[in-house]
Formats: sequence, C-alpha cells, structure tokens
Amino acid sequence: MKGNTKRSYKARVISSERISPSCGVVVFERPEGFPDALPGQFVSVRVSDSTVPLLRRPYSIMDLTGLELALLVKVAGRGSAMLASAGPGEVMDLAGPLGGASFDDPGGDDAVLVAGGTGLAPMIFSARTWKRRGSRGRLYLVHGAASRDESPDSFFEADFDKVFRATMDGSAGFSGDVVALLAKLLDEGRISAPLLYSCGPAGMVRALVERTGDRFKSHHTSLEAVMACGVGACRGCTVPLREGGRIVFKAVCDDGTVFRASDIAWEEWW
Amino acid sequence: MVTEEKKSVFRVGNAAFINPVLLASGPAGYGLEYSGMIRLARLGGVVTKTISLKPRAGNPGVRLRETGSGLLNSVGLENVGAARFFGEKLPAILEAGIRPVVSLAAEDWDDYTQLLDETSCHRDVDVVELNLSCPNVERGGLAVGTDPAKVDSYVKEARSRLPGVALLAKLTPNVQDIASLAAAAEGAGADGITAINTVIGMDIDIGKRRPVFRMVRAGLSGPAILPVALEAVWRAARAVKIPVMGAGGISSVGDAMKFFMAGAAAVQVGTAIFYDPGLPERIAEELERSGLPARI
Repeated sequence: MKGNTKRSYKARVISSERISPSCGVVVFERPEGFPDALPGQFVSVRVSDSTVPLLRRPYSIMDLTGLELALLVKVAGRGSAMLASAGPGEVMDLAGPLGGASFDDPGGDDAVLVAGGTGLAPMIFSARTWKRRGSRGRLYLVHGAASRDESPDSFFEADFDKVFRATMDGSAGFSGDVVALLAKLLDEGRISAPLLYSCGPAGMVRALVERTGDRFKSHHTSLEAVMACGVGACRGCTVPLREGGRIVFKAVCDDGTVFRASDIAWEEWW
Repeated sequence: MVTEEKKSVFRVGNAAFINPVLLASGPAGYGLEYSGMIRLARLGGVVTKTISLKPRAGNPGVRLRETGSGLLNSVGLENVGAARFFGEKLPAILEAGIRPVVSLAAEDWDDYTQLLDETSCHRDVDVVELNLSCPNVERGGLAVGTDPAKVDSYVKEARSRLPGVALLAKLTPNVQDIASLAAAAEGAGADGITAINTVIGMDIDIGKRRPVFRMVRAGLSGPAILPVALEAVWRAARAVKIPVMGAGGISSVGDAMKFFMAGAAAVQVGTAIFYDPGLPERIAEELERSGLPARI
C-alpha cells in the first residue's frame, strides 16, 4: 500500500542511562529514513534475537530529534530489562513510528499533563514538540509513581512550566496517587487549565475520568496495551469504545494510541 | 534459473502461486497493514483474516498473552464482514500486488451458504481457505472442524457453490486423528489442506484468581507449537494426495524446511511476522536458491 510508513529499521544504541533504580533512558541513533513522529506515537523494539521474549515491546517515543530517538524504559520484566541494559553500539530492530492518532497541539491553551510511571515519555515528547512549534500555553506536569525509585530525577523539569510529583509510598512529593494529587491541586486553585492529557495504566486513566472529568473541556489519553503486530493487523490490543450507543473495539496500536477518554467503555475492559 | 524457479511454483487446484511461502490467516490482517514492513508481492500469497458474512466485533476482554515462546490469542475472528471485505479490502489488496487467499468462516449453515454465494460473485477470488477450526468463537469453528462428517458437508457445499475456485480446508490440531479430517476434506473435494490452526490453551491471572481470557480458552501459536504442527502435517500429508500447507510456529528458514521435509507443499508464516517480518521473504529466497527440500 502506498503511503504505509510503518517500517522496520536497524537502530544503534548511542547511550543507555539509569535515571532511577528501575528506569532508564535508552537513546538510539535516528535510523536513516525514519519519519518525523507525533506525540503519542511509539516504536516497537525487538529486544532479543531469540524467541524469548517472543514479541516486540512497544515504547512511546520520549523524544525524536534530527539525530536521536529516545525511549523511557521501566524495568518490569525480561524484555524491558534487556532493552534497559543494551550497551552503546548495540543494534536493535525497531519498527515505527507507529500509532494512527496522536495528541493534538493545545494551540496556545494551558494544559495539564498527567503521567503514571513511564506514561511520562509521551508527555515529554508532547511538551518538547509543542514548544518547538512555538506553542505558548502553560504546561503543568503531574507525575505519579509507586515510589521514589520509579520517579526519575529532574531531567525533564525544564520542559514544563511546573512539575508536581506523587508517590504512593510518600517517598517523593505528594503521598498518594496521582489522581488525588491532581484533584487537590485543582481544589486549591494551584492548577487551572481547560485541557487534560494523560498516559498511564488504565486504572489511573479511568480514575482521572471519574474524579476530574468535569473539570476539563477535553481529556485525551494515550493508552498502554499489550500488542503483537503494532500496525492494526492482528486486532489483539483492542479497547472498547462507546460509539453511538454501542460498543466498538478499536486497536490501541493503530486507531490510537490516543483516544478521547470519555469514549472508553471501562466496564467492558479488563 | 528457470528450472529452479519451476521447483518453487506452487499450485492448489487451479490457483498458482509464485512461490510456496504465504502469510497465515490472522496475524497479518488483510496484508495491507504490513505493506510497509513486508514486500508482500514477493510472497506466494497472503491468507486474509477470516471473513464472516456479517462484520464481527471480536471478543471482549484481554485478547493476547505471551507464553514461553508462544502467544495465546482470543481475538475471536474480528473482521469487517463480507460486504466491506469484497467492496474495500479486496480491491486494495489486489491493487497492492498481493496474491490473496480468502479465509472464510461462518456461525451457522445459513450464513455459510450465503457467504459462499457472496464469494462466488467475485471473479478475482480463485482460492479460498475454509477456516473450519477457530477455537475462539462460540459457534462454528471447532464444532465443525473436529467432526469428519461436518468437514465433509462444509467442504462439499463450498465445492458446489464455488466451482472453479481452489479450496483449502484449514484443520485443527485439537483432535485425536487429523488424518481422518484431512481425508474427509479431500474426499469432499478440497484441493488442499492447511494444517494447523492454533492449539487450545488457557492462562490464569493469579492476582485476580480468574482466567486471563473471558472465553477462558484461547489459541496458542508461535514457536511453542511447532512440534505439534510438524507431526500433524506429517500425518495429514500421508493421508491425502492433495497438497498440504504447513503452518504453526515457523520462526526460521530451517523451521520452514522441516515442514517441507514432513510433506508440506507450501508453508504459511503467522506469529513470526510480529517479531521478524523479514522471515517469509528469506524463506522464499532460500527456496529459490536451493529448491524445495525433498520429503523424508
């Protein structure tokens, strides 16, 4: 099919740096011919030449410049451990940019960006992309993690106008979940913005919709999902959406990753 | 060289393929989704996602779970339905130079006969794969594919409603004797056999203390099932004279060669394209270079 830009590339690791005990940033040389990407798009990385683990792992793009492609990796299992421990010079097979729907530019409006764990990656890419384009709205980042170990230090602070942190165990920032922190910030008038963007575990996004949905004009979310093909072919990563009174399944990889949060039929999704 | 090219040409009934390496039904969707990653026109063909008469939404809940060198899926034959497939997808597939094999399945007999009639209206379709064996649907699927008498009647019906169209019967490994199913398909007029569909499996979410999949069972694919597939192809190929397409866990050129040695006349690559989209073309190149390995 003409115009199908979802290709596979060989990408060389430039650097791999731990930014917290369980998270790392892996920077690849931007492969030749790799197209420009939009916030919320992702790549799928083959982390092993063997069949263990079997599938490529999807990673949201944290940054893409003329020379580099950066991913934020939390070590959660075998696949992510292999990627996080990749050394400079190592070449990996990587497909992208994947994802058919991305975060729209706030167009000068202020925006709150809520990230759970490595949901931080598309928020950094969003902020950098929008600032590069000259967007003038204020961007508030609210980041939640299980503990200080999963809350990376401040390499991204400069990308936002203000950064708030929550950890479940209280080891850094607000003690509690990120949704409770956002609700508190809104109640206290410390944040006010018409637009909400989010990325994180489904439970976090659902809680955002239920607890703060009426406080924003719009809420777009980049969903996480287990994927196989990453290109909309296999229909394995579907999310149920409410569309005109009925439930339809959309592929997170290709119809998303970004959806209107209010469209998601949470009770149908487990 | 001409002689070697000849070795690679593969036929099922009246349908010809430029080489005996195809993409299996399911993972590759309608093929088009993978057109950036796989040079599809260089392959023997692409077996489409299984098409049903009406669109199918597929199964709710979790649809994928990785296992040890395998993948469980419960997609549930999500597809756009016959009208949209023939109206939109098939023209785009042909336009892209892809050689389609149209996979068909139905929930009941009425749907089945209507689907066959709808298919027969499209002259571009010269080969069909009857999916008699999906484990992920409540009706049709395995209920048909595990019973030689039903395989007989489904294949016979397709034979009579699709004259001139090559018929492949896709069989399940979830039976005691795949040879009798292959023989039933051949006796009913099938031009070829595809073996195997996925192997039934399940997984449990220990934290939630419940099955991972809402349908409980799911279909296992990937390298983990290769030995099961190989044995099934070995037996099926000895039970029939029509060509057998081998499928199930192929994840290297060598794996494909094993299927030819077991008696397959062609191979289908499925799950492997998720992690190695270049594999099907490498298999085709190796066959062109070395010819088909002899059956053992």
